Amino acid sequence: MTTAVADRARRTRAWAGLAMPGVGWLIAFFVVPVYAVLAVAFGQIDPILRTPQPAWSPVDWDFAAMGKVLDRVFGGDLGRVFIRTFSFVALALIGCILIGYPVAYFVARRAQRSRGLLLAALVLPFWISYLMRMLAWTNLLQVDGYVNRVLGWLHLMDTPRNWLDGDWPTVVIGLVYGYVPFFILPLYSALERIDGRLIEAGRDLGASAFSTFMRITLPLSVPGLMAASVITILPMCGDYYTNTYLTSGSPRTEMVGNQIEFYLRGSSQPQTGASLVLLLMALLFVLMVYYLVTTIRQQKAAER
Amino acid sequence: MLLGAGIPLLGACGAKESGTGAKRDSIADGLQPEKGPLRIINYADYVYADVVADFEKKYGVKVEITTIDTDSEAVAKLASGAVKVDLHHSMNNTTIGNLILGGLLQPLNKTYLANFSNVLPAFSDPWYDPGAVYSVPYTFFGTGIGFRADRLDPALVDQQGWDAIWEATEFKGQVSVLDDEREALAMAMLRRGVTDINTTDTAVVDLALADLVELIDLVNVKVNIEAYKDIPEGTTKVAQTWSADLIAGAAGYLPEGETSDVLGFWHPPSAEYIVTNDSMGVLADAENPVLAHLYLDFLLDNQVSEKNFSWNGYLPALTKLDADYVIAQGYVPENLRNCVPTNDDIAKGLKYRPLGPEGQALYEEAWSKFTAGG
Repeated sequence: MTTAVADRARRTRAWAGLAMPGVGWLIAFFVVPVYAVLAVAFGQIDPILRTPQPAWSPVDWDFAAMGKVLDRVFGGDLGRVFIRTFSFVALALIGCILIGYPVAYFVARRAQRSRGLLLAALVLPFWISYLMRMLAWTNLLQVDGYVNRVLGWLHLMDTPRNWLDGDWPTVVIGLVYGYVPFFILPLYSALERIDGRLIEAGRDLGASAFSTFMRITLPLSVPGLMAASVITILPMCGDYYTNTYLTSGSPRTEMVGNQIEFYLRGSSQPQTGASLVLLLMALLFVLMVYYLVTTIRQQKAAER
Repeated sequence: MLLGAGIPLLGACGAKESGTGAKRDSIADGLQPEKGPLRIINYADYVYADVVADFEKKYGVKVEITTIDTDSEAVAKLASGAVKVDLHHSMNNTTIGNLILGGLLQPLNKTYLANFSNVLPAFSDPWYDPGAVYSVPYTFFGTGIGFRADRLDPALVDQQGWDAIWEATEFKGQVSVLDDEREALAMAMLRRGVTDINTTDTAVVDLALADLVELIDLVNVKVNIEAYKDIPEGTTKVAQTWSADLIAGAAGYLPEGETSDVLGFWHPPSAEYIVTNDSMGVLADAENPVLAHLYLDFLLDNQVSEKNFSWNGYLPALTKLDADYVIAQGYVPENLRNCVPTNDDIAKGLKYRPLGPEGQALYEEAWSKFTAGG
């Protein structure tokens, strides 16, 4: 009996040991960098060269820069940048759902022999750098570019629109285009895992196709939708190159990422940039906690 | 992005406080060059690869270039020790003073710089480094308005001056200002007749900021440094830009069938013209200081500089390459003659000077507000 318990404990330890590379990776590439951001945000600046003097010990932390950032965000000029960023992200997420859900649904539930090909097509954009894809869009969206030509050909637009003139719809389109593959793949795997017998049972019991979708498929795909949303929202909130490329630096489309980039790379106040990073992380952390709590609840409900 | 943002910050891990003071000793005369590789920090595509290859061939060494996007990025990388190089290729002249004071540069030994005599007189004893003790000029350029001469009457721009940017309402979304807080705020100040472009008076800076913010609704202004291609390609019609951008634009970015006649450049009279430059210097802890000196001298050679200019369009600060010469050689079209600042422009023009920590923070906050949308 005792030997069996000891064996089990040994086996558990061995399995836990397998997690060590992952834990090490997390410490090296997440915990340490985040602590470095903290140390810079709460640290000092070299008086001559204006480079960061990180405060590694919490005893030396100085919250002045963070205080100023909070003042500017809550009730100041930076507040509008956060609101604009979250609005762009929300709109882009809606776009991702509208485009991504039908695609993921089709590939997971309807495509038969073509599934492999479609999956490969979904992965294809990852082969090209994100920046290259955005640069390609700047050509497509020119006044005499293909987008205007197609819209004109379809009689959807009489006069060509200058898509790159610095207005928000272009940025939202760019975000949807850039991140929709990240949205589709997790959603696809969730939809694909749904037990087909449940859908068949719904149909056998007389539900219409629409009703079966609304009452069985959609509720069962909510965890996948949540995961896909989180995976796209997080990088979109830190994005600063989509708008830079598609609106050539219009102040009307500036996102939080642009302010972070300016303060970290182009200013003499890196502690302000680091404070913005922490604030954005804190706001996104709330979203992550909500996602985790919901997922755990759903798992518990499923186990019951 | 969040993880990415942490990476440059990690460069700060080893940062020590500067203030060790300027390094006083230059290298001794007559030393043999090291074996390299010569390590340089520079903006991407700012020096002709063939010129670098010529240097490698001449001295039988390799040259390695670390690229940067901004001036402060270079300072951060060098100060933290994250990047070790022998030579800074393109120092902003408002930063040189701090690099000297921070002990990052070494005084140059001019016995290795025979070609220093080629340098324009105005840069042989420059305001940012008296006596050119720590630096030699690389390129120079003035700040003005670049525009499409086929869409905007040059005489009108001449009459309007800086107002031309604010008046360009018919080109909404096709107007840009430089992505640089000093440049854009100085433009707004000059437009109102304020010539102290180094002021730290909050009221003046705030007014300049308000004027810039006005541009957002007036002309849907863009903030970038892309005018060198956007004006020739026609996507930008009016822009605050550097004179060199028009030269580079005329040489490499005009669509087929268009001539440089479609391009125009305006700049204020000498007394209000901001002419600035990038400079090269040798790092205090350079492992190849002799080789670095030889590289500086190589770039100050008239022929080498001309070759470099023929590719990047940024004028070297050398006497030989004046407006007449570069026009005669076909590098600059006659209608863009005013893109070559004269020695008078440099001598009489306005100069950016360091603002000090509070002043710099004042400008940066104004800039952050402007780019955030006002």
